[in-house]
Amino acid sequence: MKLTFINGSPRGVSSNTGKLMEHFISGFLETEGNSVDTFYVIKERPGFESIISAVSRAENVLLGFPLYVDAMPGSVKEFIEGLAPLKGKLPGLKMMYLVQNGFPETCHNRYVERYCEKLTHRLGFTYGGAICKGGCEGLSVQPPFLVEKVFKMFNEIGRAFGKTGELDSDLLAKLAHPEHVKAENIKQVAQMVNGFLWDQWMKKNGVEHLSFARPYGEDL
Amino acid sequence: MKVLILNGSKGSPGLNDSIEALKSGLTEKHVEFTELKLNQMKYSPCRGCFNCWVKTPGSCVFKDDGDIICREFITSDLILAAAPLVLGYPAASVKNALDRAIPLVHPYLEEVDGEAHHMKRYGKYPAMAFMLEKESDTDADDMAIVNEIFTRAAINLRSRLAFIKYTDEGIKGVLDEINIH
Repeated sequence: MKLTFINGSPRGVSSNTGKLMEHFISGFLETEGNSVDTFYVIKERPGFESIISAVSRAENVLLGFPLYVDAMPGSVKEFIEGLAPLKGKLPGLKMMYLVQNGFPETCHNRYVERYCEKLTHRLGFTYGGAICKGGCEGLSVQPPFLVEKVFKMFNEIGRAFGKTGELDSDLLAKLAHPEHVKAENIKQVAQMVNGFLWDQWMKKNGVEHLSFARPYGEDL
Repeated sequence: MKVLILNGSKGSPGLNDSIEALKSGLTEKHVEFTELKLNQMKYSPCRGCFNCWVKTPGSCVFKDDGDIICREFITSDLILAAAPLVLGYPAASVKNALDRAIPLVHPYLEEVDGEAHHMKRYGKYPAMAFMLEKESDTDADDMAIVNEIFTRAAINLRSRLAFIKYTDEGIKGVLDEINIH
């Protein structure tokens, strides 16, 4: 089986989307004969010719991206618009998605997931589902055992996909956990993320005193 | 009351006429507005580097027209994005503009109505509104999806969704909504 992975992260190679998919792909490749082609949306702007030509020849496409302002990054929307000429021409193409977000809960992704499904039908491709995962910002500062667990699940779902050609619904549900986080737990997580990720990062740059700067007007 | 029109038109005469009618209507009602023609501006898509949060807090490190978008956004009372739907979602120029508005919020997370969202950087944020041109195959499902996504996006930009109108309903509804606002 062949998989075309389109990495839609504006960070390109150094993206969380790529880190997660590395594990999916290594699981996928465990089945003999499977192969993967990877493309980067941000590198192919503004024409996306090579990705679009790859999509037109592909069997299985997985478009992965981080959630930006509750939807796909603008550069991914540019790419999606480039798919218009393929509308109605590839009924056998299976299109899948990975949407990951930096909030503690997965629920934020469900709205753009609905868009992705509708888009796939509109283009006349076959919808193969979406991997939705929250809690993906600051993978480098999260406790290693938690990150390992996520990577392991990506490996598992990739391995299962490599064998069956389907995204396993039980594994999708497992990966999406937690869909919501209780208010008191959000407060705890926020405190950690704010302190360990953002404060430390600002401190490293010597700008923690500017954290709440209002460059467009102090009185706004 | 100041309206910022984010003009994401890709040249369709129907949408351009609606935008012209909107502007004359606003002028008639003495509503102050600024129009940014997105397709004539130069701004990179957001690259997710987070430097606007951790290196130059509140400002993007790209020196391009994204700075104008941010300044106009935060000094307006209502943002009105006028754009065609392209494959079920407003034109990419609008999404790239909204992505470039993230310096206006703070990276910190806080709990808002049972969900994690970004904290405010400024005291007051404009409301968001849309005037969209349908595609030939736009259906109720598409409109529901767009409505949901922007209701959510408004929460995360610490704004609120004022309205979404479609150009085939005429301009009067848009002007009435702005009036109420």
